[in-house]
Amino acid sequence: MKDFDLEGLSREMPYKMPEHFLDDMTERVVAQIGKQRKQHKERRIVALFASAASVAAVALLFLHPFGGGLDIPDYDSISQCTSVDELFQNMTADELGVYSMMSNYYGN
Amino acid sequence: MSDESIARLLCDDNHVEEAVRLIMKKYGEPLYWHIRRMVVAHDDAEDCLQETMINVYKYRSTYSNEYPLSSWLYKIATNESLKLLKNRSGFTMSVDDLGDSLKDSVREEASPDADETLILLQEAIALLPAKQKMVFNLRYYDDKSYEEIHQIVGDSVNTLKTNYHYAVQKIKDYILEHQL
Repeated sequence: MKDFDLEGLSREMPYKMPEHFLDDMTERVVAQIGKQRKQHKERRIVALFASAASVAAVALLFLHPFGGGLDIPDYDSISQCTSVDELFQNMTADELGVYSMMSNYYGN
Repeated sequence: MSDESIARLLCDDNHVEEAVRLIMKKYGEPLYWHIRRMVVAHDDAEDCLQETMINVYKYRSTYSNEYPLSSWLYKIATNESLKLLKNRSGFTMSVDDLGDSLKDSVREEASPDADETLILLQEAIALLPAKQKMVFNLRYYDDKSYEEIHQIVGDSVNTLKTNYHYAVQKIKDYILEHQL
């Protein structure tokens, strides 16, 4: 049976690599990596600012640095509110109608 | 520069670009030919090599000096080549079904003055299943040991030897059948 000597064959390729291909490729890859690194750095800075802004916002809400803060009514001010009877007295006929309809609907 | 020094530079954020240049200088050409033997067309090899180098940068933290740098680079290049072939084959075909179209590309891509036997050899390689093709190319062209091929491809040494044996047989048969 015929045999073919593969080992005796040249390792050359029947194709050619374009001239300066590897140098151009190196520059392209390095440029792309540089761009990705820059984008990564920018994203980190934005994330850092966002975190700082969040921390500052939370601090503003809870620490009242300017003496303001949230206007949460205390018990005394709640007790001074208009009584429920007073509210009913001030209602118009239409408002009372809506109220009675809602009460019936919710079974109250 | 040694592979260990290049790997150290690659993991140092201030020297990544220098490391990539050194890798391209030392391994750019063998990686290009490794990819080209898999995908045949120069344009495809160009895309794969670029993607390989970007992945080297992206996944540099996963490199472990347990294996040689060259094996890691070849592994990434092999995966990129297979990814391109997989995309080309689509959902309905496997990479191994691309043999005929890759074989046709060999003649289209060959230089006008290329030796006919070398073209036949590349045609025969193009027709091999992907695994046999990888093993044959790494052993025959890149002179890799079975241990190195194991680090790149992942199969056991015995399986690799079997793949190589079958690949050689198929290539010889093809050349004998088509040689004038």
